[in-house]
Amino acid sequence: MSGDSDHYGWAGKILDIDLTTGAIKSLPLDETLARLFLGGRGLGTRFLWDEVGPQVDPLSPANVLIFAAGPLTATGYQTSNRFSVSTKSPLTGTVLDANSGGYWGMQFKKSGYDALIVRGRAEQPVYIEIKPSSEVAVPQVSIRDASTLWGMRVRAVTEKLGQNDNRRNVLCIGPAGENLSRIAAIMNDGQRSLARGGPGAVMGSKNLKAIVVEGKYRPEIQDQELFKFMLYETRKLLRASPLTSQALPEFGTSVVMNLVNNIGALPTRNYQQSQFEGAEAISGEALTDTYLVKNASCWACPIGCTRISKTEKVEGEGPEFETTWAFGAQCGNDDLAAIIEANYLCNDLGMDTISAGSTIACAMELAEKGYLDADLRFGRADLFAQTLEDMAYRRGLGDDLADGSLRLATRYGAPELSMSVKGLEMPAYDPRGMQGQGLLYATSNRGACHMRGNMLGLEVLGLPKLIDRFQVQGKSSYVILHQNTSAMIDSLVICKFTNMGVAEEYFARVLSAVTGIKYATGDLIRVGERVYNLERLYNLREGFSAEDDTLPPRLLNEAVAEGPSKGWVSKLEPMLKEYYRARGWDEQGVPRPQKLAELELHGFSYPKELVP
Amino acid sequence: MIDERIYEQFVEIGRDLYDGGLISSHGGNISVRLGDRVVIKRRGAQLGRLKPHDLIETGLEKNDSGVALASTELLAHRTIYKQTPALAIVHCHPRTAIAFSLSRDEIVPIDNEASYLLKKVPVVTEEYPSGTPEMANKLAAMLQSDKIVMLRGNGSFATGQTLDEAFHWTSTLEESCQIALYAKLINEPFIEYRKMSEAYSKW
Repeated sequence: MSGDSDHYGWAGKILDIDLTTGAIKSLPLDETLARLFLGGRGLGTRFLWDEVGPQVDPLSPANVLIFAAGPLTATGYQTSNRFSVSTKSPLTGTVLDANSGGYWGMQFKKSGYDALIVRGRAEQPVYIEIKPSSEVAVPQVSIRDASTLWGMRVRAVTEKLGQNDNRRNVLCIGPAGENLSRIAAIMNDGQRSLARGGPGAVMGSKNLKAIVVEGKYRPEIQDQELFKFMLYETRKLLRASPLTSQALPEFGTSVVMNLVNNIGALPTRNYQQSQFEGAEAISGEALTDTYLVKNASCWACPIGCTRISKTEKVEGEGPEFETTWAFGAQCGNDDLAAIIEANYLCNDLGMDTISAGSTIACAMELAEKGYLDADLRFGRADLFAQTLEDMAYRRGLGDDLADGSLRLATRYGAPELSMSVKGLEMPAYDPRGMQGQGLLYATSNRGACHMRGNMLGLEVLGLPKLIDRFQVQGKSSYVILHQNTSAMIDSLVICKFTNMGVAEEYFARVLSAVTGIKYATGDLIRVGERVYNLERLYNLREGFSAEDDTLPPRLLNEAVAEGPSKGWVSKLEPMLKEYYRARGWDEQGVPRPQKLAELELHGFSYPKELVP
Repeated sequence: MIDERIYEQFVEIGRDLYDGGLISSHGGNISVRLGDRVVIKRRGAQLGRLKPHDLIETGLEKNDSGVALASTELLAHRTIYKQTPALAIVHCHPRTAIAFSLSRDEIVPIDNEASYLLKKVPVVTEEYPSGTPEMANKLAAMLQSDKIVMLRGNGSFATGQTLDEAFHWTSTLEESCQIALYAKLINEPFIEYRKMSEAYSKW
């Protein structure tokens, strides 16, 4: 990187709100930090390192919520609508960032800030409002009473606070967050979610119901000519790619349901099988043919993968592929209407659909095997609604399910039946049929995740080229590259689906055009590597170790019984050894000093004896 | 022990490079990064006729006995892997592209496919030959930004996540240069059909 920037791209300011004292501060954004970590997940992780140490309970006032946009946010570049929240996860205890689209992120950046740090705990329920004042450079920020909003569901509170997609945007929690469910999401724009790892519970623990933003600030772009060229080229590529111009708009993210099922990598009935006989009925094609009302898009997105679906009972956004899988194959259910309704309910209660569906699937297996006395059984979609309500309000068995599958399965004596890594429920790809995906889950810093890199492109779709999904040797290289790329994209912040049609070299040039700082593609990937290593250090400081880089025993020991992945288990161990070496980490998974120096992470190491 | 699937990739790409006229009998070089290891063609082996013993594995950072057998281009490949996100490298001698590299500092495609995929290919000069740190560092620096570069009078270096991808950029460049050559031979005024093509020089 070289060059000079005067707040091109970045707004240059951070808003810091202490809910305990009511103090509101505007702080300058450090330019070196911005250059090294960009925004979103990168900047959030960097701030979290300083703010929240290992002594902090995630649900205590000492934890913070860091909402962060990136240098591309609100510039108008394709999919530049996204933002993230960083915090210590109450579900996993790891570093956490969750990421969302819609409109709120764009509007927040237009309020004139790059990040918002919320600390402390309000005595009574409150919400934060950020509005333009007569002076654009000094927004009006207030902490307002939310006692009449507390208890309201997501759609109601979003409407009540005046959601207007392009002008005023609402982010809030629902009952699940208020009741400190460790799988509670933060919702924005009514139906989008910062879902994984329980950030909604952190917001609930602060008595913070909502954050409303309005803005008039527009990010400055240093090289308008190059920026316009990149807009044009990106549009061409997204229109040319069948994935981004046809598959995702026509069928949504569930377009991959049949593809993943056909190769024997669709986890079924809590990962007991790898193919689901009902996949066709819950596929993207089926959704389009039955319950789809129309498509929708996030701000500045030409792809439009969002589904608006309608059943006899509900109409709303979704469901996405992962949600459809979680309440579908994972629960042995092929009733698409029941999935749509469960998704609707999760959004309204403010709950992570992957963790909710997968925790219910875990409970179904616990019940079928006699560990748990409950009516839940695979295929019992009729119990979804009541179970989700009970989880959000912590009623009866729902109180146990509200904290995720690992705590549930441990409580009932069978922790091995939680299909999770580091306590985060695994998404919809079976590592036994996609070897790289298993390594990716095992080493993901926030726990099992398909958004921290995804081998779907290389192992299934052939993006950029198809590689053998069962190959083990060399897989670490691909996993590392995609983890780093993912961290970079989450720091820009844009949508990962653009990367299905547009390569990283475009992002480097767009960022250069916007900020005036020359970023080569390699520089940008190195930002992602820096973020990934800092997240790793954070987890090590929290007491995590190489022992936590693993998969549920089922995936390591129980071979797939039938189908195209028959006979396979995850060959994690050799991949993991290769992974540590390739990352420049020691045998215990600790980044070596030379690697930290290479990534300009001086001063982030800590005494080795702290590592368990 | 090198996975047979990796060997098959080497055989297929090596054969295609020779059959496509992109290398002479013993020219060119290909490699992949496997974690902290590099697999590269044996010194003196023919890319068009690779056998299992023609693939040499050695460390990315550390030497071992493999270096005694590896291609003279090993240093360049290692340096590129260490300084860029590349996981595969294809180096070959595309004739038409080499011819254009003798008179240009960058090759800007005029055909649709290469305009779409490459935008612009930089040409660099290095007085030191293959295998020297000077050339290796210069190439690696260029490949931070560009997925394929031309070494003037020598050939192309292309990177990708797979050999297949690096080969894609290579064959696209040579095809583009052949089209440009034909256009020169036809010698009629060029009709610009690409919107904003003037911005390719900023790529």
